[in-house]
Order: sequence, then C-alpha cells, then structure tokens
Amino acid sequence: MNQLLNLIVNGLATGMLVFLLAAGLTLIFGLMSVLNFAHGGLFAWGAYAGVWLYAASGSFIIAVVGAVLAGMLLGWIMERAVIRPMYGNHVRQILVTLGVMLVLSEMLKVVFTPNPLKAEVPPLLNGSWEVAGVILIKYRLFIILIGALVYLGLLLLLKKTRIGLIVRAGVHNPEMVQALGINIRMIFSLVFVFGAGLAALGGALLAPYSGVIFSEMGMQFAILAFIVVVIGGMGSVQGSALASILVGLSGALMAYYVPDLSLAANMLLMIVVLLVKPSGLFGVKGGGA
Amino acid sequence: MALVAVPFVSDSRSLFILLTQIFIFAIFAMSYDLLLGYTGIVSFGHAMFFGLGAYATGIFMKRFEATLPMLFLSVLAGMALAALLSYVVGMLSLRLKSHFYAMLTLAFAGLLLVAAEKWRSLTRGSDGFTFSIPEPMRDRSTLYLTSLAAMVLVFFLLRRFTSSPFGRVLQAIRENEQRAESLGYKVVHYKVIATVVAGVAASVSGSLYVLTLRFVNTTVFSMDMTLNALLMTMIGGIGTLFGSLIGAAVIEWAHQFLTDLAGIHPIFERWIIFFGLLYIVVVLVFPSGIVGTVHKWLMAWRRKRLKAENGGEAS
Repeated sequence: MNQLLNLIVNGLATGMLVFLLAAGLTLIFGLMSVLNFAHGGLFAWGAYAGVWLYAASGSFIIAVVGAVLAGMLLGWIMERAVIRPMYGNHVRQILVTLGVMLVLSEMLKVVFTPNPLKAEVPPLLNGSWEVAGVILIKYRLFIILIGALVYLGLLLLLKKTRIGLIVRAGVHNPEMVQALGINIRMIFSLVFVFGAGLAALGGALLAPYSGVIFSEMGMQFAILAFIVVVIGGMGSVQGSALASILVGLSGALMAYYVPDLSLAANMLLMIVVLLVKPSGLFGVKGGGA
Repeated sequence: MALVAVPFVSDSRSLFILLTQIFIFAIFAMSYDLLLGYTGIVSFGHAMFFGLGAYATGIFMKRFEATLPMLFLSVLAGMALAALLSYVVGMLSLRLKSHFYAMLTLAFAGLLLVAAEKWRSLTRGSDGFTFSIPEPMRDRSTLYLTSLAAMVLVFFLLRRFTSSPFGRVLQAIRENEQRAESLGYKVVHYKVIATVVAGVAASVSGSLYVLTLRFVNTTVFSMDMTLNALLMTMIGGIGTLFGSLIGAAVIEWAHQFLTDLAGIHPIFERWIIFFGLLYIVVVLVFPSGIVGTVHKWLMAWRRKRLKAENGGEAS
C-alpha cells in the first residue's frame, strides 16, 4: 500500500513535469496550429541553463527564473526567424522545427560539453518527510505544487482575462480577431514565447529531479509531451493536464509492476487513443485543423 | 557509367566505402521521397522499414549458412515484412491528418525500437551482433557494384512507378487532397500503396546497409535514420528521385568531409549543427532543394533566352 502511494507521488511528479512541457506545446498548437518539434530543445536548454546558473549563482530562484528567460529568448528568436514565414503550411512547419531541434540539441554539446551534467537539489527542498510510513520526497511535492499552480494560473489566464479571451477567440477565428483591430500576429508571438518559457521551466525543474541532464533529454521528453498532447486533444489545456497525469502515473506504475512493457506503454496508449478518437480525449477540432 | 568503372581504376578504400554508402542511402532517400515528395506524407517512422530489412538480413546471415541464395532470401523476407507492416500501419493511420500521422508513425517506429531492444534472444538488444556474409560479398568491389546496381534498379523502378498514371494520382493528392478525393480517387487506397512501395524499397536499403557493416544493432530503428532520409530528400530536392540521389551524395560526402575536419577544429565533430542550419535554410529559402532550384533557374534562363530570340526576330 505504501509502495503504491509512493509510486503515485512519483507518477504525479513526472506527470506535472510533462504537463509543463505539454502546456506550451498545446497552446502553440491550439492557437497557431504550429506543431513545434523544437519544443524539446527549449526544454533541454532550460535544464542546462538552470543547472549552470545554479552552480554560478548559488540561488535556485535565480536559476529557475534565468532558465525561463533563456527559454523565452530562444523562443522569441525562433518565432521571428523560422516560424513566422511558415504559418499555414504544416508540412514545412514540421520540417523546419525539426531542423531547429537538431541545432538546439547539438549546440548544447558545444556550449556545455557532450558529457552529462550533475544537477543538485537546493538544500531547502532536499530530504523527505515520513507521514504514516509513506516517504514523501520534498522536491517531488514541490514539483507537484508548481505544476498545479501553473495549471490553475493558465486556466485563470485563459478564462478570466482579456488576453485569454483574445487567445481563445484567436483559436477559433484569427481573421475575425484581426478584423476587430487586435494584432493577432503579436499575440501569436507572445503565446509562442510564453510556451517556450513554460518548456524551459519544465527543464529547469526536471534537472534536480532526475539528478543528471544530457543533451538527448530534449527529444526524449518531447516525445512524451507529444504523446500527452495527442492523447489529451491538441489545443486543450485540461486535456493535456489529464493526459500528463495519466502518462506519469502509468509510467511509474508500469515501471514497477511490468517493467518490460513500460517503455512501450505511452506509445500504445497514444496509438489506441488516436485510432479510437483521432482528436484526443478533449479534442474538439475533429482530427486536427 | 563512370561509376561502374571506379572499382577497376581506383583502389582508394575510403572512396569505395563512401560511394557504397551513398548508393545505399540514395535508395533509402528515394523511398522517403516517394512519400514526402510525391505524395506529401510526412512520416517520422520510415526507419522501421529500414530496420526490418537490416534485421532480416542480419538474422538470416547469423542463423543460417551465409550463402548468396540465403542472402537473397533474407532480402525478400525483409521486403515481405516491410510490405506487411507498412500496409498495416498505413491502413490504421493514413486517414489522419499530417500532424497526427507523423506522430503515429513516430510511435510505431518507437514500438519497433523497443521490441528490438527487449527481444534479446533474437536481436541481442542494443549491443547488436556481428555476422558473416556470403563469400562473394566480402570483396569490396562486388559489394560496391551490387549497391550501385540496386540503386540503379530501384531508381528506374520508382521512376516507372511515379510516372505511371498511379504516380500522377499521388502527385494530385499531394497538390490538393480534397480535389483528388472529389474526382473520385480513393485517396487512402493510393496513399497506402505508396507507403507499401516506399517501405519495401527502404527495407532493401536496410539489408544492403548491414551487409556493408556485417553488424546490426538497434540504431537502424532510431529516429536518426529517418532524419537522415529526411535531410537527404529535402536538400537534394523533394519530388524528384534524382534529387534524392544528389541529397544522399551531398550528405554522406559532407559527413565524411566534416568528420575529417574535426582534426583541425573540434567544432567539426558537431557537424550536425551545420547540417541542421543548412537544412533550416533549405526549408526556408529553397523549399525545392538543390535539383528543384537548379531546375527553376534553368527554366527562367531558357525563358529569358527564348524571349530575347523572339524579340530579335520581331525587330
């Protein structure tokens, strides 16, 4: 029973990390209809920037904030240079963002050496509590908390603010929003930069969680995030949250109970969902735009 | 033609290996181009067919006697498996739109990679295994000529396929899927056949590839393999089989060249950066690749000359 609870906490923590990554991805896809294959690259850069800044400054807060800013900067450059000329052409978007992914993950090896780096948990979040025989690792609880906060924040932002209203309207009909005198292009850019920041945040938080970071982690987590976005329904924040938790939990439980299948579990889950309901659990667009 | 003579005039080992690699990857790139360039399908799982061919040949050569008939049989087995798998994957997923199809093929290729890693009794997991190859194939020039012949054969077969009425329908689907559908063509049916043909061709290149290495491991199923084909097709020029040949040659040669440069400056060890940048530029600025762009320039130049001639006559 305690083992099960432990697994659930681990699964939730992984799920929340994946959610941070998937939320940016799904926002970008939902609004701009751009499937950003370089998202994992931003995530990996967030992780490296976080570790580097933490070692340099000694402050975890500076590290995380710096990583998010680095991710946003990269996202801004990307949007300007390669995404903007590609609006409306899915095939070329897929191709060009894939190229950016290659460059981003190779650049990591140039800037931070190809060897894996060690990441430290900040002392305040180190250690664990024991509650009724269940060991709760502080850092994992911290991640779950941050994930939940980001989820609530996103929902509030999307549902309660004017900018959220514009974004939601833009998803349905960008031309109409443009016609109302709102610069939808600028909103697109903002959303992209915001999504990139979320990815970097996920990376920066993941580093101490996994203890070690390496340049291929971007692709690995990006695939997980894609799976989540596809399962949840492209463009749906709630869907992504639910799917992230599903994927996190099933990953943790499978790794413990049926380790042979655990690598394939998420892929199988996605295949089944896509074949049964191509638009995902919360999808509305009927197989994508 | 000159390529056939190479083994008889030159005995540069590295040139041999390079050219053989180019021929093999040209087959793989052409098969990918059939999907991306001719039909407009983006697949992220093309490595699965390459890998099937690779493992079919590897396992046959390991388990049975390494003879030519057995090698032939192994290639056929790889092709049959690839045909079957591409048919199943195609039927399951080609109804989905581009993004979803790309994701689904990624997932299928991921499953095969996991399977190859877990089924250790057959594949030895990620360590892979070495095997011996038939006597005649051990000679580098025989292997070279075989790869060249295979490439030429696949080129003409695929050209026959793409210039047939069937191939024309594929191009119509690429240009405007809804219109092709409304003209009464069963789009999914055509796409499935295109993926089966592409899958079978890819498995041939996989078989040849492991033949040159005498070794196979799970990297043949990796995303990098698919990316290779994608880069070659894009850089050479999509929608032209010849472009895939050029692309394969450029990438393989540049890979070799940049790796050699690593002795001068360590940045060249990270040659993928240059490829990545080149590739981004190609997608942004020359979406039709080397062959397509040259073709466009030639057409423009010819039109200009024609105009000048006509103008001259009129005056």
